[in-house]
Amino acid sequence: MVGLAYDCLANPLGAVRSTFEKAIASGSDPASFDGRDWGAVDLFRHFLFEDDGANSEFCNYKMGSANTLVRFRGMIQDMLGNEFYVGAYKDGSVWRTNKFTDVPQFPMDTSPDMRLWERHMLYCIPVPGQNSWTESPSEAVMYRSMNSATRQREKRQRLDVEATDNMDCNVSDEGVECSPAKKLKEDGHLQSQESITEGTSSSMIMGPDVNRDSLPCLIKIYDCPESDLKLNEVFEFVGVFTFDPEFKVDKDECDDFTNGFSEDVLVHFPPNKVPRLHCFIHRKLAVHDFLPHSPTVEPKPNLVKEIREALLRHLTAILGNDGVAAHFMLLHLLSTVYSRVETVAVGKLSLNLTCFSKESVPVFGSPLRLAMKNLLPFTQCISLTVDYLNAASLAPRKDYETNRLITGALQLAEGSHLIFDETHLEAGTLNSVGVENARVLKTLMELQKVEYDFKFYKLDMAADVKMLILSEGKSNILPADVVLPFHPASVGSSEVAAEALEAWRWYLATLRSLPHSIEPEMQKVIENDLVAARQEDRKLGTQDFSRLLTMGRLMSMSFGETSLSLEHWQMVKELERLRKERLK
Amino acid sequence: MASDSTPVDDLHLPMTPSRVQSATHSPPPLPALPGRDGLADPLRRLRNSQLQGPTGPGSPVPKQPQPHRAPAAPMAKTVPLQPPPPTDGDVPPSSEGGDGYDMDEDRPTFVWGTNISVNDVKVAIVRFLKNFRDESQWNTESEYLTEGKYIEAIKRVIEMEEDSLDVDARNVFDYDSDLYAKMVRYPLEVLAIFDIVLMEMLPVINPLFEKHIQTRIYNLKTSTSMRNLNPSDIERMVSLKGMIIRSSSIIPEIREAIFRCLVCGYYSDPLPVEKGRITEPTICLKEECQARNSLTLVHNRCRFTDKQIVRLQETPDEIPEGGTPHTVSLLMHDKLVDAGKPGDRIEVTGIYRAMTVRVGPTQRTVKSLFKTYIDCLHIKKSDKSRMLAEDQNPVEVDSSVAGHSDEIVFDEKKVEQLKELAKQPDIYDRLTRSLAPNIWELDDVKKGLLCQIFGGNALKLPSGARFRGDINILLVGDPGTSKSQLLQYIHKLAPRGIYTSGRGSSAVGLTAYVAKDPETGETVLESGALVLSDRGICCIDEFDKMSDSARSMLHEVMEQQTVSIAKAGIIASLNARTSVLACANPSGSRYNPRLSVIDNIHLPPTLLSRFDLIYLLLDKADEHTDRRLAKHIVALHFENPETIQQDVLDLATLTAYVGYARKHIHPQLSDEAAEELTRGYVELRRRGNFPGSSKKVITATPRQIESLIRLSEALARIRFSEWVEKHDVVEAFRLLEVAMQQSATDHSTGTIDMDLITTGISASERMRRESLVSAVRNIIMEKLQLGGPSMRLLELLEELKTQSSGNEVHLNDLRTAITTLASEGFVAFVHGDSVKRI
Repeated sequence: MVGLAYDCLANPLGAVRSTFEKAIASGSDPASFDGRDWGAVDLFRHFLFEDDGANSEFCNYKMGSANTLVRFRGMIQDMLGNEFYVGAYKDGSVWRTNKFTDVPQFPMDTSPDMRLWERHMLYCIPVPGQNSWTESPSEAVMYRSMNSATRQREKRQRLDVEATDNMDCNVSDEGVECSPAKKLKEDGHLQSQESITEGTSSSMIMGPDVNRDSLPCLIKIYDCPESDLKLNEVFEFVGVFTFDPEFKVDKDECDDFTNGFSEDVLVHFPPNKVPRLHCFIHRKLAVHDFLPHSPTVEPKPNLVKEIREALLRHLTAILGNDGVAAHFMLLHLLSTVYSRVETVAVGKLSLNLTCFSKESVPVFGSPLRLAMKNLLPFTQCISLTVDYLNAASLAPRKDYETNRLITGALQLAEGSHLIFDETHLEAGTLNSVGVENARVLKTLMELQKVEYDFKFYKLDMAADVKMLILSEGKSNILPADVVLPFHPASVGSSEVAAEALEAWRWYLATLRSLPHSIEPEMQKVIENDLVAARQEDRKLGTQDFSRLLTMGRLMSMSFGETSLSLEHWQMVKELERLRKERLK
Repeated sequence: MASDSTPVDDLHLPMTPSRVQSATHSPPPLPALPGRDGLADPLRRLRNSQLQGPTGPGSPVPKQPQPHRAPAAPMAKTVPLQPPPPTDGDVPPSSEGGDGYDMDEDRPTFVWGTNISVNDVKVAIVRFLKNFRDESQWNTESEYLTEGKYIEAIKRVIEMEEDSLDVDARNVFDYDSDLYAKMVRYPLEVLAIFDIVLMEMLPVINPLFEKHIQTRIYNLKTSTSMRNLNPSDIERMVSLKGMIIRSSSIIPEIREAIFRCLVCGYYSDPLPVEKGRITEPTICLKEECQARNSLTLVHNRCRFTDKQIVRLQETPDEIPEGGTPHTVSLLMHDKLVDAGKPGDRIEVTGIYRAMTVRVGPTQRTVKSLFKTYIDCLHIKKSDKSRMLAEDQNPVEVDSSVAGHSDEIVFDEKKVEQLKELAKQPDIYDRLTRSLAPNIWELDDVKKGLLCQIFGGNALKLPSGARFRGDINILLVGDPGTSKSQLLQYIHKLAPRGIYTSGRGSSAVGLTAYVAKDPETGETVLESGALVLSDRGICCIDEFDKMSDSARSMLHEVMEQQTVSIAKAGIIASLNARTSVLACANPSGSRYNPRLSVIDNIHLPPTLLSRFDLIYLLLDKADEHTDRRLAKHIVALHFENPETIQQDVLDLATLTAYVGYARKHIHPQLSDEAAEELTRGYVELRRRGNFPGSSKKVITATPRQIESLIRLSEALARIRFSEWVEKHDVVEAFRLLEVAMQQSATDHSTGTIDMDLITTGISASERMRRESLVSAVRNIIMEKLQLGGPSMRLLELLEELKTQSSGNEVHLNDLRTAITTLASEGFVAFVHGDSVKRI
């Protein structure tokens, strides 16, 4: 056996083993462990949340080396179904377990005492468009002024820095027994692994074709109904990080005769490219989990108002002193789909700023993009051109050859923000892909749904994406809820203190999840207003009413209040009036 | 059948250590079950062993230390997908699936690891096959005179020289639930015994019949969801529904090999596959020759069977929210090969199996992983659409390969439920409410759509003339009147609904086009949306923005219900029995009340007349509806969405209801209804003939009467009634009228009286109008002579204004008043703007 009892951080499998042995020793039947934990997960939970484990900076996924405990945050991109494995088997007369590992640690003979267990496989990728500040507080500062050109380089530096940090921490934490690689060596079974571990892990990080956006991970999840995890949800997984370097040898494994079975997903995820993570604990993450250190302050009215004012000032400055646009922008940033009635997604508020031109986009668009990046955890920017529409694959589609879901630009996590720059769109012919893409965009805009193409049928996946469109005139490809001509007065720039930025992030992440209601009296007032408005202007329809109500809700939310007041309703009506004026 | 792609090389592979090991210390694994063709041999041997072998029936079967299919896996290289190799005959089948779960049941008289006693099961099977009778057979009282269902079936199989016998698992359950339980739990063993029993029974019935007959079980009592398959299902019989997404090419799998000596030309006896491989003899078996390593495989004398791997995926309706579909591999043999094509929805019965995955082809270490697949016993194609698209035609049964015909049956409980629903007096309204409940008002439109979904009866006369039963609907309306939402909803509900947008559709995209296959260079016909929605509803959004050429293609589709293609050497006429639901904006995007309906819709009248119902969804100023709308939206935003739901049927029930009605209800016109139709039609015709009407008004044509019949039939169907009653016809007329806005159309000018669209004209308004009419009448009586010169409207207006001081009179009001008078035959319009007394 391994000398040390176990070390949760560097040798989690040892910990698994020892708890298993303990459980067996106490007389449990291994058969009863099917689908439940024998104490290993509890151990880790205890370690992480109660002991010092929570504080110790254990490896982030990217730096992890094989068979250590790592943490991975990512979006579920594809679900690969379940996998049967030999959960428990007898090595001679001793029960062993294969749980949380791919390779049996002890010779596994075909013996009658084999227990088949089941685990689920999830293919996770880093959240699309995830901004750097979400990762650690120090990075945000570094990232703020950075543009995309230098991004790659800087990232590597950062990784290096972190890698060394991490090493230090390992050493300090564990004293003598520090390097995971050494430990493996001691295990004796994976001797050959040492060099490969080093090699693979570094190549994985630094490899020329591996950039940050494609650092995926195959998560194997145990004892958990699959319905707990949904596509496109963002999770944090803590578990054992494994490689199977031997796998490299077996490239030719998928011989022709296995034909159908060679579609086995694993073939397409060679472990030397896609690492595995055997998950002990998973936790669904919401937007506010990505705040570096979330202040656990209750939203106090004063505080919220202050932050709101400051944020509004900031937005106004970015938007060239266009106060109306800043107001709409604030509401837009707070919007989220909070309920769905049949096909209607209630709560979305997409914004179309018109009167942009090719010239003004660099002036205002770029700062705007940067501001979004700094304020929201997941942001992306798409420049719409005819070529893009004709070529891009926006909606994810299933590839039955590889039995995988090929991701598309619109496979996004909940709460993502998308900027569409339509100013580069010129007259041209759309091919069938382009037409389809335009339709997909429109559906996303109107219904907050993305049609995933499963070839034989389409599957609607609900989305919650905030969409901001910059265009010259009203966009017809992307019919937004709010169309607002953008009237900048000056070219503003805004220097932001890090603390302010953090407060704003907190503000945007927290307030949108507040509960909200409406008093019956207020309801009457609104109804009357709506009826009156409609009597005046027959063109007003369901969508306009919906927009007004959404704005009302968001407005009062932006003040941190939980029910709509008359004052805020008036503000909304005033905003709408100003907008209408501009449209004339 | 022979193919050169046999893995001959593999035959020379030396035994790897693992194989040797597994061969020595593991007992022979199971008989290959669903590699069904090969069953004969192992089974014969199995039988022999039972009769003569040391382990005869009843005697203890040696316990096998080998639980899983693990030893079979290392041989995967040879015939990787080979199901577990056949036993070599010394032992009766042993279950491996059972162990680990049923350790306690390890009793000597049973097949190891199971609770199966070969003899008992055999007896039970014989009893079942001999004695089982269908309910219908029981009812004839002569139960002992008629033969059992399966005895008849076996005789039929012999007659037809088929090679499989279909056994309905439900019958097994009804007859002997214990046998059923065993069969599901230990399918390998029980099916093997089934086959033995058949082999023993056949010679009794027909001694000359030598073929081996396999048992194909279908129709299990419970159908598992692909998602719920788990390790405890391994080696059990399962039934799954799903959609085929991929099938491999057909793989010839060697069953028996024949070798020839290169030296002396001696042909060896057929060598059967053993444990997934064939060992090439090293020495010529002919005594005189005995040359070493001289044997070569003779491909064309070997026996091969077809094998195919198919991937089955969950159907969209089984995928939970936020999940991706699961897939499972199916292993098909012989007749099942190519039984389903990608895209087919099937229900498959088979055995769930697992096999180990090796780390590498040359390594003996197996990974801790297992691959799973389903060994197919039986597949059944199920209907493709959500709603049963079949109309009155007999259901085209393209059921299982095994040839048993099987309709898609609504289970009785459901039918009862639906019939109960149909009996409710307010079912029509209830269904209307249930249709797109989140769309506001528009009840009449919804009623029309309901009729469309239910559809009328299609009729084909012996002369070949065809009358369509599909109802076409056009929705024209102002932007923002939720046309598209209605369309989306219908698309969701409808059988084979296809949704296209006029803007993105071309003529060929809608109908069919000829394409060149890039590989073969052959021209192939690809179906467009309309052909694809055959027997369904084709929803076309933005109809007005469709190009003229595309639109003109619709002419044929909408009346003849076919698409004719004549190009690139292909002349074809494809069925497109589809209902068209189109929606369009009025020309000029908003409805202009000053123009006539036709001018507003701005579609060629030829096309318009093919729509049974044309709805104008107009936005009217009405505080009442505004308020309701406002209330609805406020509720939508601030209340729990559940509280908004009213008493409506859920989508599933609605679909089932429609499906049942479309399939089983084929109403006919009653005499009374026919009379009413004639009467109404004549009246309709007459109404179109107003004197002085200068503009084209959609008058009643024979098409209208067809529409009316279809509508009435649909209405009767909604009630699950086989007869079209008079009130159906009355309602059909009403629908038609509402749809054409004829109640609100000014027949003389062809314009719509906007005020008339609302049925709720206030009483004061009506009073005002009546007084205006009488005032106008008085003036005309005064000023105009019978047959005298005409008078301009403006003059009349002046006159009216001087007479009725105080009241503001508009030209429009006057026009309305005059129209009323004209319809009384009192005056007539001359040149549009002048009035003449007649």
